[in-house]
Parts: sequence; C-alpha cells; structure tokens
Amino acid sequence: MPDVAAADFIVVGSGIIGSTVARRLVQSGASVIILEAGPRVTRAEIVARYRNSTRRSDWMSPYPPAPWAPHPIYQPVSNNYLLQSGPYPYEAEYIRQVGGTTWHWAAQAWRNVPNDFKIKSLYGVGVDWPFGYDELEPFYQEVEELMGVSGAPNTGSPRTKPFPMEPVAEPFAMRRIRERIASDYEVVTNTTARNSRTYDGRPACCGNNSCQPICPIDAQYHGGLAAHAAETAGAKLIPDANVYRLDHDEQGRISAALYYDPNKSSHRVTGKVFIIAANGIESPRLLLLSASDKFPRGLANSNDMVGRNLMDHPSTSLTFDADEDLWLGRGPQSPSSIGAMRDGPFRAEHAPYRLDFTNISRVDSATNALIAQGVYGDEFARRLRHSAARELNVKNVLEVLPDPINRITLSDQKDAMGIPKPETHYSIADYTRRGHERSQQDFRRIAELMGGSNLRFSKEGSYANNQHICGTLSMGNDPNSSVCDQWGRAHEHDNLYLAGTGVLPTCGTCNSTENGLAVALRTTHRILAEHKVGRMPASSRLG
Amino acid sequence: MSDITRRCLLASLLTTYTASLIPWALAQPVDDRDQGAFLAVSAIIAGRQSLDTDQAKRLYDALVAIDKSFPTKTRELLAVINTRNIDPLELQKILDRERSSLAGVPRIIASAWFLGIVGSGASARCIAYERALNAIIVSDVLKPPTYAYGVYGSWTAKPI
Repeated sequence: MPDVAAADFIVVGSGIIGSTVARRLVQSGASVIILEAGPRVTRAEIVARYRNSTRRSDWMSPYPPAPWAPHPIYQPVSNNYLLQSGPYPYEAEYIRQVGGTTWHWAAQAWRNVPNDFKIKSLYGVGVDWPFGYDELEPFYQEVEELMGVSGAPNTGSPRTKPFPMEPVAEPFAMRRIRERIASDYEVVTNTTARNSRTYDGRPACCGNNSCQPICPIDAQYHGGLAAHAAETAGAKLIPDANVYRLDHDEQGRISAALYYDPNKSSHRVTGKVFIIAANGIESPRLLLLSASDKFPRGLANSNDMVGRNLMDHPSTSLTFDADEDLWLGRGPQSPSSIGAMRDGPFRAEHAPYRLDFTNISRVDSATNALIAQGVYGDEFARRLRHSAARELNVKNVLEVLPDPINRITLSDQKDAMGIPKPETHYSIADYTRRGHERSQQDFRRIAELMGGSNLRFSKEGSYANNQHICGTLSMGNDPNSSVCDQWGRAHEHDNLYLAGTGVLPTCGTCNSTENGLAVALRTTHRILAEHKVGRMPASSRLG
Repeated sequence: MSDITRRCLLASLLTTYTASLIPWALAQPVDDRDQGAFLAVSAIIAGRQSLDTDQAKRLYDALVAIDKSFPTKTRELLAVINTRNIDPLELQKILDRERSSLAGVPRIIASAWFLGIVGSGASARCIAYERALNAIIVSDVLKPPTYAYGVYGSWTAKPI
C-alpha cells in the first residue's frame, strides 16, 4: 500500500479539539494533516434537516451517520453501533463529520473549580490531576479568547484576565427565577461560547433557541468553525478518511495512520508526530484496533488502562408549573445555573453537582403530552399556552468518579466497514446516586419558591446522559494507572499524543469541552517545545 | 366525473351538533366526501376557527399514502361523532372504551395538525414546521426554534 500523504503532524479527528490543536501546530510553521472519518456538512444543510425532522427533540436527527463512518443512533431505532454490556446503559451520542460533536453542543464553556483538580487529596475520592488549576489557567484564557466566551465572574473559577465578552443578556424567565429564589440560591449566568456582541466576524445571539442541535447563525462557536480555521491557517484536512489502524516501528514509535475511504480503499499517511483526537470513544477504540505482535493489547495499553475510567455527567430532573407566565424558549437554550453544590466537604460522601435551568421551548414537548392525553378541541390551545408559559425544568449535573470497571472495549461485532464496533460497560455508582438524592431537596425548594405545582420528578433510577464523554485515556503521573503523562503523551510511544476529553482524570460538574480544549492546548505547547520539526509540505500524491 | 361535480360543501357531512363545533367551516368546499370527512374531523380535533385548506390537502395526501384505509376510518370517526354528539375532550376516552378500531385516528390527525408530522418511526414524514398549529398557537410570544427571536437582548422583556 503506497503512502498517499505525509506531514510533520498527523491529527486524527477534526472536532473542536483536534482542529484547534492542528491550527496551533500549523501556525508554528509545521505541516499538518487532519484525518476525519466523516464527511463535510454545511450549517444550512443541518438547519434544513432540523426543520424537516420528525423527531425535533432528538438532537441527533439532523446528523445521520455516513455509512462509512457510523456513530451511535438510538431513534427511531438503535443502529447498535455502540454495544452495551454493563448494568446501566451508556447511550453516548457523538457526531462523526468535519467539525465533530460540538456542532450540536449548548456552547457551555465552563472551567473546573480549583478543587476539582485534587479531590483525592481533599476528599479522599477519585484521583488528583497531575497539575492544578493555576497551571491550566492561561490555557483556559487562550481557549476562551479563541472561541469567544461570554460569562459572569461569580462562577467559582478564578481568572487573571476578564472574559472576552460580557454575559449574554438574561432571558426574562431566568431573571424571574433568579429573583424569586435569591433567598436561598445564587443563580449565575452560564459561561458560554456564545456571542453577546459581534466577535471574530460572527454575530451576537439573536435568540433562535436551537443552540442544540444547531445555531443557525454561528453566534456560538463550534468545531466546524475550528476546522475551517485550521484549514485557513494551512492544515490539510482529509474528510471521509476513517482511520482504522496506527502502525509503529521497532522502537514503538508511530509510523503511519491507515484509513479507509468510503469505497474501503486503504490509504497510508505518514508523519513525525501523531495526535489522536477522535473523542472519548473513538480514540481508545483506535488504540485497541492497532494491536500488533509487539503490542498485543493495543497501543499505549500494556497496563490495560486504555478505555477504562469512562465518565460522563448523569442527570435527574424536576419539571413543574410555576405560578406565573415565564415562556421558556425566548433567547438561548441554557442560560443560567446554580453552582453552590459544585464543591465542598460533602464531596467525601456524595457527588457534587451543578443545578441547571433549561430555557428550551416547551411547545413541542407539551404538544406531545397533550396528544398523548387525548386533549382535543378548543381546550388544546388553552392548555398548550398554559404549559408553554408555565412549565419549568431544573436538572442536576452529577459528577461520576473514575472507576476502571467503566470502560470502552472492542466488540465482537463489526461495523459496515468491517471494523470492530466499540462496546461499553457502564454503571451508576452509589456516590453518584447519593448526589442525586441530595439534589432532590434543592428541586423541591426551588419549586416551592417558584410557587410550583404539578411536580414531575424524573423516573427514579433513570439518569439522562449529558454526552460529556470523559476518561478512557486518562492522564497521570503513574504509568501503571494512566494511559498518558500530564502532557498527553502516551507512556509507551514517544511520538503519540492524546487530546480530547478522554484524557481528563476526573469530570467535575461542568461540561467537558473547555477542560479538554485547555488541556489540549497545554499539550500542544509541549509538543512544539519538544518536537522541533522543520516544515515539511503536507503532501499528497497518487498512490 | 369532473372535480366540479364531485365537490360538495362540508356542511352536507355534518349534523347540527358537529356543525356547531365548527361553524366557520360550513361553507367550505371540499373535493369529495373523504376529504370532507377529514377536514371536518380535523376541525373538531384542532379546535381552530379556520384551517389552511392547502395544508389540509397535503396532510390528507400524506396520511392516505401511509394508510389506504385512512379515509374509511376518518368517515367512520365522523359518523360516530355525528351520531353520539361527542365533546372533543371526551372523544379519546370514548373511543378507547368503545371503539378501539378507531382509537388511533384522532392522535394521527392531531399529530398531523399540531406537530406537522404524519406517520411514525422510520416512515414518519414532516409536512409542516412553521405552519404546524402548535407553532401558530403561540406565535404571538414565541418563534419556532431556529428562527430569530429578535435583536440581541430582546428576550429580556416581559413576554406579554
């Protein structure tokens, strides 16, 4: 099989993290190739798919997978791509296309709180990170300036420079919540990669209220923009390139990435340094797929830690009717939250959590409920308006501790390209359940302060997943219990780096993207310091 | 037979009771009795003062494409409502209890009008979005998601 392309740096995955790493690398003067399994898709196509969707509450419906690069789909029926073998289903959602999964994020760009980095030392649970908040702070700032992050200062994450933008204007409903529960809770404006003014050529939010699954005007940053920026800076992005194996030399250094095109023709790409940024499921899958005689358990996996310590953020919730008209659905979807339970001595006993208020329009969900109840005639409009005006929802965002038993492995089943599918083993620990139980008193109190009636708690024992895939490639100082060092370099392979939320040792209580990005930029600085590469043109030739 | 001779007025399909539920529709011309029954039942279920006839045609065609027996079921449903003088709010309960063969029809019609969606599962189709009735019912306060609410910050004001 001939080489078809070569560059100084090969990045696998064109999501927000892979593309941002690639952008920084190419800006240093190096040559960079990004390999993306999925196709290019435009914003206009996604908006049109959403408006024509028959499942508007299914945020994956505008993102059907390409046959040659499948990702998990659960509705209307599961495509059985991510196999389940654990006691609790882990129905991860992610997108394999140029730009990756942040096409449909809520742009929540949170920093950890400082104590998230040392929960083992402070509370005797989980693990400590190999570095602390202060060391990551400059990279948080770099990420925030790159994405364009707006936020308020009272979120528990100290900063040395101001946010690039003022907080996004507070929706009326959120103002009323903040005012009415102020006696007991401080409601803060969320930290988001959403424009409160024109930023980097993109407009301010105009309240389309479809942040998930797609912002129609690019008022929020996403991986599609990151990929475009990387290409504009000079990176060569190859879409529809499904990497199925990494090759290595006698010293264990990575020598090539092999990918299938949609016709299953194989191509080989060589480079000096490889960065795997294919997300918390596809990255460990690729390492496991790359098993060889020298590395029979897969790359970076002599200690059997690849894929382990899978974490996410489970949520339970309360829906109720307020005693005044609030009309969720005006402005951005996820504007406000409560951070009081993100940290404290209680973390020795139960999971911390954020409390998150949704501002997603209730119209479709209320319509479905009324149809299910058989409400017809004049009464339908009256009740729909009542629900759309009065319904509120608050959810917790619970920390999951790293546990090696929760993991990603390879399935015996194969996908359409003949590549073993990923399989997951997941469970909800008592630590997390106790956090859920503690949050119920907050739910009740918030409802009480809002004059709530018709309280509807989410089903006991059922946890919604937030699609913040963490762990699986955990970084740490101990090569026996981690996959990569504090710089993201695989313990066993000098020129193999891992970037993404998979490297995060713990998941805290905030959305994982900004943490993953900041750590990846820290990794990038290290790569550039360690690998003084001369510029080699990112080449491509016919095989 | 020409379209003209086949057309009739919706009023001819209704009893005094059902006509009282949708007085606006009495003079509505319809292509045939099947479509007339659909429009009459739609009007009763939707509870609206008017229905878009073009949209009705598109929904009807989509529903028939999914289920050839849909016109028959809809005529039967109208006959039941006509005969029993059923309050729309009681309709589902009565069908669930007494006419299970028709019990699915109101929800199919309600989904078509209120959500703009016909069919279910993998064969479902989206016929309307911005003009689905659930968007129209709240259009004085909300925009359908993906449509701009207004200039930056306009959502800070009290909605009504």
